[in-house]
Amino acid sequence: MALPPADVCIVGSGAGGAPMALQLGRAGLKVVVLEKGAHYQKEEFVHDEILNSRRNFFMPLPWDEPHLIRNGASGKYERSNAAWTANCVGGGTVHMSGYFYRLKPVDFRLRSTLGAVPNANLADWPISYQELAPFYDQAEEELGVSGRVVAHPFAEPRSKPYPLPPLQEHPISQEVDRACRKLGLHPLPTARGIISQAYRDRAACSYCALCGSYGCEIGAKSGTNSTLIPAALQTGNVEIRPRCMARSVEVDRQGRAKSVVYLDAQGIEQEQPAKVIVVSCTAVESARLLLNSTSSRFPRGLANDNGLVGRNLVFSSFGESRATFRIAKRKDTWPWLDDPAPFVQRSLQDYYLMPDDRHGFRKGGTLGFMWTHPNPIFAAIRIAGSGKDGIFGTELKDRLRAYRDSKILQFEIYGEFLPTAGTYLSVDGTTKDKYGIPVAAITVERHPTDLAMTKFLVERGEEVLAAMQPDKLERVGIAGETTILQHGTCRFGNDPATSVLDKDCRAHAVSNLYVVDGSFMPTSGGVPTTLTIVANSFRVANRFLAKLKRDG
Amino acid sequence: MLIGGACKRDGSQPAAPPASPKPSAQAVASGHAAPGLKTFTAEEFAVVSAACERLIPRDHDPGALDADVPVYIDRMLLTPEMQHVRRDFLAGTAQLDRRTRQMFGKGFREISDPERDQVLVALKNSPPKSIEAKYFELLMVLALEGFLGDPSYGGNRDRVGWALVGFGTSEPPPQYDGVRQLHAHGAR
Repeated sequence: MALPPADVCIVGSGAGGAPMALQLGRAGLKVVVLEKGAHYQKEEFVHDEILNSRRNFFMPLPWDEPHLIRNGASGKYERSNAAWTANCVGGGTVHMSGYFYRLKPVDFRLRSTLGAVPNANLADWPISYQELAPFYDQAEEELGVSGRVVAHPFAEPRSKPYPLPPLQEHPISQEVDRACRKLGLHPLPTARGIISQAYRDRAACSYCALCGSYGCEIGAKSGTNSTLIPAALQTGNVEIRPRCMARSVEVDRQGRAKSVVYLDAQGIEQEQPAKVIVVSCTAVESARLLLNSTSSRFPRGLANDNGLVGRNLVFSSFGESRATFRIAKRKDTWPWLDDPAPFVQRSLQDYYLMPDDRHGFRKGGTLGFMWTHPNPIFAAIRIAGSGKDGIFGTELKDRLRAYRDSKILQFEIYGEFLPTAGTYLSVDGTTKDKYGIPVAAITVERHPTDLAMTKFLVERGEEVLAAMQPDKLERVGIAGETTILQHGTCRFGNDPATSVLDKDCRAHAVSNLYVVDGSFMPTSGGVPTTLTIVANSFRVANRFLAKLKRDG
Repeated sequence: MLIGGACKRDGSQPAAPPASPKPSAQAVASGHAAPGLKTFTAEEFAVVSAACERLIPRDHDPGALDADVPVYIDRMLLTPEMQHVRRDFLAGTAQLDRRTRQMFGKGFREISDPERDQVLVALKNSPPKSIEAKYFELLMVLALEGFLGDPSYGGNRDRVGWALVGFGTSEPPPQYDGVRQLHAHGAR
């Protein structure tokens, strides 16, 4: 039996779902938010690596709720927990590091800028940077972002400073600056979704050691769980239902979305009717939900007339290197090295767009500098290695003692991930999760240009690290992907033949269905995209409410 | 099976050990643990203890036994999400002893430290994804969790593991019990 109807039912409470919930609640609409995970309170975020990072507090386990992943269509699927973000109220914004970059104008015009790239399914966005810019302002304001605007050859235009001054930095940041400038590069302070001062009844960051991959126990991290969700609940119009797993979106005879069928916290099937349905469970899980929502009107999945739901999946191109500095050796030259300050906060965007393709690519991305994650089990397992290269015994202990005497600086790459016909998501009817719902199956076939790009960026980053004369310089990878950053599975566009959503993120084929996580993005951009998803959701809410007013 | 850095994939890195295809509710055999233990028989506990101490031996700094690593493993294997790891671990421990008897004609507890290291190297260097290689990896991962995890799980006694690697942060409140948290969460 169906529950009492709502005006709007939103599936997911992270970067995409929360801004919609807040804005529609403020406008007086009755909103029900379904969230598959728990509603953690601040007190439940503790500095326990085992709980947080090694079990299913945030991420499901591969035997309970796998993602199937394979390299290329001829590869063999493996069960994985890759491509999940935190399953809880606030979603991935709870355990994010909060590197809050904006996209740049070129990211909205990649097809026009690059022309036709063979074997890449590039598309311009149907909106421009200028159309999104006011909503970047709003997102930064509502969430609380700390940063400092500096002039830069690749700086995107912005109308105002960040709402909060930058967080304190480790003295090493000055050394990164020095090394970059020596190489003719333009280091940038990285803006963070973490508040450097008290802001809107929230306490300022306390500079604890454990930030990324943890929830913030004082609410200084600007996840939607600490910001937009409490504000949405305060409107009195928004109800959030945690531990509710959406199974399908149902349609009426006209093919309009009418309800969300879900399993509640007790595992009992419920049906929530609503006039409008908003899907926002991450680009992977939203596409999975639509593909699992079959009907006689939509036999291939909801809003999937053109077969593009799940296609054009793009992650973020990844590469990483690390420089080790021994503390004892630098006692005299860098006496500040063992300062516990957790943030380095430097980025390089000099290679965001190359003037020509002499290095095998034109669209690059960002290098972000940071300390390696301080999780000790994570670090020790890496040190121990595995197989023939693995070590144990006294050798392992010596290496652990050396680690104690080290500070390890790394950079990570957030690079363009070109859409290809070979990288997509489908639903595998034979593998089901613990709820009995078919799981997402992901096939990855990288564009060779991406790999030329990450290799080039890693080499440039290594030049910066080398200029700091580390005791050890180590390449972690040049050909990876960051799967928590995911986009494209319901790309937006003006042409219903080549896109799933219109420019307002409303499904071309279903007039009361919206998708507001990263699914809408036809291209990944060269930065982490959390802030962009939040900003776009504010934009979609604005357009939705304007339409509502127009239509009466 | 165990989470960590899962958000990154890299073709040049070895893949995480794949989970067994089918978790089985029957995997949890119960009632065999020795008094005071939750998972292991006294014999299994002794073998696991001897192996952990070779992975992280006491020298001028504390080792696995000083940190109660085997106590950690015994308790951890009983948490809900580790149910099917438990089966693999117990089977692997039996295989460790079998391999030792093949090599030395005696059980793992009865051989010398250098001989124990030989057995562990043999396991470690077994073909990737073989039962022995997977067991060595599991043993190492659990030993490091027990050495460097929150003390409320039963290991890292007196925070000796954190002292070794120089890790310090604000800790969970004094009454915190990680195992209870895992149970509460796993039972959902």
